[in-house]
Amino acid sequence: MTSSSLTSRAVPAVAARVRSAPAAWAFLGTGLLAIAVYFLLPAHGDAQSIFYVVIGFSSVVAIYVGSSRNLPRGERLPWQLFAFGLLGQVAGDAIFAIYEVSLNREPPSPSIADAFYLAGYPLLALGVLLILRKLGGQTSRAAILDTLVIFSAVALVQWVFFIDPYNHMHFGTEFSRLVAMAYPAMDVVLLVAFAQLLVGPGGRTRAYRLLLVSIALWVVADEVYGLTIDTYEGGSWIDALWLGSYVVWAAAALDPSMSRLAVPDRRRLPRLTSARLLLLALASLTAPLTLLIERLSHHRVHAFVIAVGGAALGGVVLVRLAGLVHAVERAGLAERLARREAEQAQQLLTFQNQQLVEIDRLKDEFVSSISHELRTPLTSIAGYVELLQEEEEDAEKLGHLAIVGRNSERLLALVTDLLFAARLQYGRLELERAPVDLRSVVEQCVDSARPRAQAASVQLESEVEDVPEIAGEPAKLAQLLDNLVSNAIKFTPRDGRVSVRLTAHPDLIRIEVSDTGIGIPDRERERLFERFFRAQSALERQIQGTGLGLYISKAIVDAHDGRIGVDSAPGEGTTFIVELPVAR
Amino acid sequence: MTDAPLVLCADDDEDILSLVSLRLQRAGFRVATAADGEEAVEIARTRRPALAVLDVMMPKLTGYEVLAELRGDEALRGLKVILLSARVQEGDIALGLDAGADAYLAKPFKAQDLVSKVEELLGT
Repeated sequence: MTSSSLTSRAVPAVAARVRSAPAAWAFLGTGLLAIAVYFLLPAHGDAQSIFYVVIGFSSVVAIYVGSSRNLPRGERLPWQLFAFGLLGQVAGDAIFAIYEVSLNREPPSPSIADAFYLAGYPLLALGVLLILRKLGGQTSRAAILDTLVIFSAVALVQWVFFIDPYNHMHFGTEFSRLVAMAYPAMDVVLLVAFAQLLVGPGGRTRAYRLLLVSIALWVVADEVYGLTIDTYEGGSWIDALWLGSYVVWAAAALDPSMSRLAVPDRRRLPRLTSARLLLLALASLTAPLTLLIERLSHHRVHAFVIAVGGAALGGVVLVRLAGLVHAVERAGLAERLARREAEQAQQLLTFQNQQLVEIDRLKDEFVSSISHELRTPLTSIAGYVELLQEEEEDAEKLGHLAIVGRNSERLLALVTDLLFAARLQYGRLELERAPVDLRSVVEQCVDSARPRAQAASVQLESEVEDVPEIAGEPAKLAQLLDNLVSNAIKFTPRDGRVSVRLTAHPDLIRIEVSDTGIGIPDRERERLFERFFRAQSALERQIQGTGLGLYISKAIVDAHDGRIGVDSAPGEGTTFIVELPVAR
Repeated sequence: MTDAPLVLCADDDEDILSLVSLRLQRAGFRVATAADGEEAVEIARTRRPALAVLDVMMPKLTGYEVLAELRGDEALRGLKVILLSARVQEGDIALGLDAGADAYLAKPFKAQDLVSKVEELLGT
């Protein structure tokens, strides 16, 4: 009952996995089934030997097919090496099978089968190496040192427990002894490759894990075989490990995730992950552990080998440590350099700031003296014109003098505006505040603008009510009103109307200057208060101006903590609205 | 005419100097002129004017320096001084008044403004 409910829950999960990699799972399932069948066949029979070769060969074919299907041309080499490496094993198995089936005995030792077997190992290790290179981080000094540490440890263990024992066994010839020793030696290469893969960079896909499992199965099978070489017989449980390795290796190749196995990692150096540290620690402890195990098991102690291996391990670990220390020192040096650069940049910035302040001062001085130089000749022109106007009686000449006088006033106004704007650019508009009655400011402004309105045939009217005093600078507020009213008159055609309204509201006073002029299009409204901005319509109609009036007006309103806005319908007219806070 | 107060006018711009002199003479004052700061100080000490109209930007001694010189001279106590300048920033005006000027007039000036300021200071 329990098992059936387990199955019912497990089935959907398995189904999902199978759907994502049907070929891999189909092969794995069939392969495991075939391994089961292998053990059901009569032991040492021909059928068993042939079946062994069939499973191995199918796996090799599956690896080849999988790499062709999942990888683009040019990236298949590692898996093709796996296929050929395992093909070597299958060839060896086949030779054994041929002897078993046709001659009913094992091949002599050593035989051509050993050549195939041994030739397969370097190909498998090379395949792993290529995958690791693709994953990145394997060519740095630190990675090579890590590999050396692991290699030394594995070589030490292999020699003491798996290779050297053959020196104390009986072999027919020295050559057959060497061949026997070559297997555990080859396992060193495979073990190092496996360890590298275990701590390698990059993500872990399903295919990656399957590959790890298959190599582990192979190495374990080899090692167990090495320990039980005297008692090993075909059909032993160890065969399950080798056969499992074939099948899992093939499943890894058939799984589509194998194509992402070799996504390069961006980090150049191997990170000291906890897995890598653990592995390196274990490797460093190999020499004392080996010694301990030999002593405790009353084994013959390989003092010389352990001493040399321990020294080699210690040396490599030292070099690795030195590399780490150097890296830390380099980082420290880089930090000091960066800090010094930052300090220099800071100094440069300070210097540039001082220069900017100086340039600012020079500009201020320049503007001021230009203004002085322009005002001095204007003083003479205006002064002598005034003198002549008093003495002249001829109406025509008086008219001409009035023109000169008017233009010198215009020039003076322009100079004043330019100076004002230039100083505003430095952000300095300081008010000399006093209580101001806006009603009288507005009335004076309207009175003084009346002659201009009449000359332009524009009706000028005002609607002022009593308003509370505000804290402001009368001259600046008069300038503001004069700007707005002059603008309104300038932009209003003949027989139009300009009206000024002054009204009190809670906490604020509103001034509205309306005209029946040409209006301002929406797209120009936002830029209206910018320095030197001139409306297109003003340029087209050749209406004189500098583009400073509204800029200055806004600055004056801002300095009084007020707001200025505009409401306009093109062709119908414009209203400028100023709101100023009431003095408390 | 000898009873009319003497006004010292100092300006390095000849045209403006003649204009100011003319305006003051027409208003009934006697006028002494100086073309630079040093001359202004010398005339002030030798001829003891009742009022001085000083340009600020003058060679040799500026209007401010002349003013300081005159204010430091005990013998010239009671001398009224008007600074007349094309430098019209708030800072300039404040500087002039702080230095002891009785009035600060901006160029260009209206004849009426100059004459009435002089008359006001001299109480005529």
